[in-house]
Amino acid sequence: MQVIENSKVKEKVYIEKLENGMTFMCIPKKHTEKKYVIWGTHYGSNDNKFIVPGEEKVTEVPNGVAHFLEHKMFEQENKPNSLDVLTALGVEANAYTTNDHTAYLFEATNNFYEALDELMDYFQHPYFTDQNVEKEKGIIDQEIRMYEDYPEWKVYLNAIGDMYQKHPIRIDITGTSETISHINKEILYGCYKTFYHPANTIMVVCGDFVPEEILKEVKKRLLPKELQPEIKRIETDEPNEIKQKMSIQKMEASIPLFTIAYKDVKPSTDIVKKHIAIEILLGILIGKSSKLYQTLYEKDLLKNEPDLDYEFSKDYAHVLIMGTSNNPQEMEKLFLNEVEQLKKDGINNDDFTRNKRKVYGDFIRGYNDVSEIARTFLADSFKGINSFDYLEEYEAVSKEYAEQVLMEVFNENKEVLSIVEK
Amino acid sequence: MVPAVLRRGCKNYPTQEKISKKMEEMYGTTYDCGIEKTGDNHVIKFYTESIGDEFLPQKEELLKKQIELLLDIVFNPVLENGKFVEEYVTSEKENIRQKIEAKIDNKEQYAVDKCIELMYGNAPYSLYKYGYIEDLASITNEIVFNRYKEIIQEAKIDIYVSGNVEENVFDYIKGKLEQLGLSGRTPKYIQNNETTEKKARVEEKYEETKLDVAQGKLVLGLDILKNEPNSRFAVNMYNVILGESATSKLFQNVREKASLAYTARSTYTRQKNNIFIKCGIEIPNKQKALDIIKEQLEDMKNGNFSEEDIQNAKSYMLNGIKSVEEEQDTEITYYMGQEFSGLNTSLDEYQKQIEQITKDQIVDIAKNTQINTILFLRN
Repeated sequence: MQVIENSKVKEKVYIEKLENGMTFMCIPKKHTEKKYVIWGTHYGSNDNKFIVPGEEKVTEVPNGVAHFLEHKMFEQENKPNSLDVLTALGVEANAYTTNDHTAYLFEATNNFYEALDELMDYFQHPYFTDQNVEKEKGIIDQEIRMYEDYPEWKVYLNAIGDMYQKHPIRIDITGTSETISHINKEILYGCYKTFYHPANTIMVVCGDFVPEEILKEVKKRLLPKELQPEIKRIETDEPNEIKQKMSIQKMEASIPLFTIAYKDVKPSTDIVKKHIAIEILLGILIGKSSKLYQTLYEKDLLKNEPDLDYEFSKDYAHVLIMGTSNNPQEMEKLFLNEVEQLKKDGINNDDFTRNKRKVYGDFIRGYNDVSEIARTFLADSFKGINSFDYLEEYEAVSKEYAEQVLMEVFNENKEVLSIVEK
Repeated sequence: MVPAVLRRGCKNYPTQEKISKKMEEMYGTTYDCGIEKTGDNHVIKFYTESIGDEFLPQKEELLKKQIELLLDIVFNPVLENGKFVEEYVTSEKENIRQKIEAKIDNKEQYAVDKCIELMYGNAPYSLYKYGYIEDLASITNEIVFNRYKEIIQEAKIDIYVSGNVEENVFDYIKGKLEQLGLSGRTPKYIQNNETTEKKARVEEKYEETKLDVAQGKLVLGLDILKNEPNSRFAVNMYNVILGESATSKLFQNVREKASLAYTARSTYTRQKNNIFIKCGIEIPNKQKALDIIKEQLEDMKNGNFSEEDIQNAKSYMLNGIKSVEEEQDTEITYYMGQEFSGLNTSLDEYQKQIEQITKDQIVDIAKNTQINTILFLRN
């Protein structure tokens, strides 16, 4: 196994590429009762147009299939539902779908290997029938309805829709009631066969493990599988320009919610360094200690620190600033002025050092909990990143580099404002 | 208003900006405060989190700095003419106004809060934790400052530290508290547990509240009519089988069998001897969902659940108990809850009690459960 060590956080990751193409990672953590395992496939809501290995034609599936599969994977033939089995074992089991991956997981303080049997069994044995697929539509419909009542989800999704013209990230992960009505067991089996091949998956375990032993246990539970050629995903030709500057949606909310977002170019090799620089920049611009935050607070334009984020996968990237404000347009104006001012004045040394330290603390804190560690390694791996890179690249982020990123990314032509208000 | 104003500044760091700068210097130490209801107590919490010294480029004694800062914020506010800074009070009133108005933003929680309000009528537990808009205008700097002084003199004050900390931190905190004149006080607070929360038999109430929602939110507030010491363990088990876990009756019947909901579950509010059932459904499906929920409550009374259900619920609970010390927030919340109930159950004791619960005890709880209020939030 390949071993990568990080001296700052004093952890190691063991990585093995198995014969069937699957990637296995173990981050041993002594003195913890909780053991965590997560098995993810590089398949999310964005993957709705692709070429099945061995075929020539392009397959296009309704929006929401990846998420639908996530719901249905627990169903078993002639056996109780796997979620019930795992719950009965006293482990906490769950699954989730993102834009670029779907993951199945559990955390256990007991019965770990029994639960691993079940997880690896259901992942490798789908069982879809007309009846169990139909039944799920009512449940997912209610999940969609639930999100319709979350203004914070709408304001985010609308900002994505403002930035992107064609990219499938525009689509809601769940799909809509209409799109999921077209999903049937044949579509599910087809996508399962394509995307749940081990070569398209990564498993991460974190807890009190001996890496070689847990690897052996995992291998024992894998069904033999021929290597699969690469899945060709049809990328959309997304223009660099944004779709529209602004959107407003009316919804029941006590105070307007806003998202200010910048559409960035596709990630390249310096993405980790860039990510760190953007976190520092966001702190300097509108973090709690910034001049702008004080001004906005005093003017009643911002009463809570907004959520600041840089979100990306292999073929998209954007900056997000999300919060609530009495007057989002006025607050946007002041924010944009601040960005221009910072470009003109350059970054103050103290501000840079403090915000850089803060980012360091945030990274270290991410290693507190086995579930957070495993999830981070999984999500980063699907983006082609080893999570330790953040700690390795940290030193190399200089003020000058941050200033360069500021110029490149915080471009007013690429900025959008999404508002949800009553 | 008290924590909101205190948060704004203290003697050594008189502005939000200065506090935030200090926190960033301390490698992004986080700090905030909040307010919540724990039983009949209004609890103000100040909390801070930082990384351990072993992960820093040099030794910083961050924990001591954190404690010092937190104590400074709570006990040494910036004053102006013997009161709080007027500007802070005015500005935080606006902040609180927004927080009160924001209660409609989380629709599920709003429905639960509405249900609690109806269940408790004029009792203090019915009050919204941030208060009400109509009272806000009359709140002055004096009122807030006097309340603050009362809190410092009378309120129960507890400090929890979790982490890889050295023993001497304990003495360090004790020393600080002595300096502040806080040792040896008799605090005022209310202990709530299953023996103190006695419920009268009531007729079931049904109410609808309207809001522009896409999905209807159905909440059932249940009273537990049992007041024997340690009955909470059986109630815990009852609640897991009824609606807390994925194998529970509510999840299986409302969601998996009837496809009526994505969320269908129940939670046990130990301090008040209540269980709340919550589910999100299509508005016209209300009666269907309600019928299925009531069927589950009847099933529980009639003992229509298996030995396997009990074993599953025990495994579920034991995993939860074992996980308490794995997460620092959970750990602190657990011990704080123990302190407020006056029961101080250790995790070992908790585990033993759960292991011993029998079917008869669970059925007994089911028979001593009544629906107090049904609240339906709809458009």
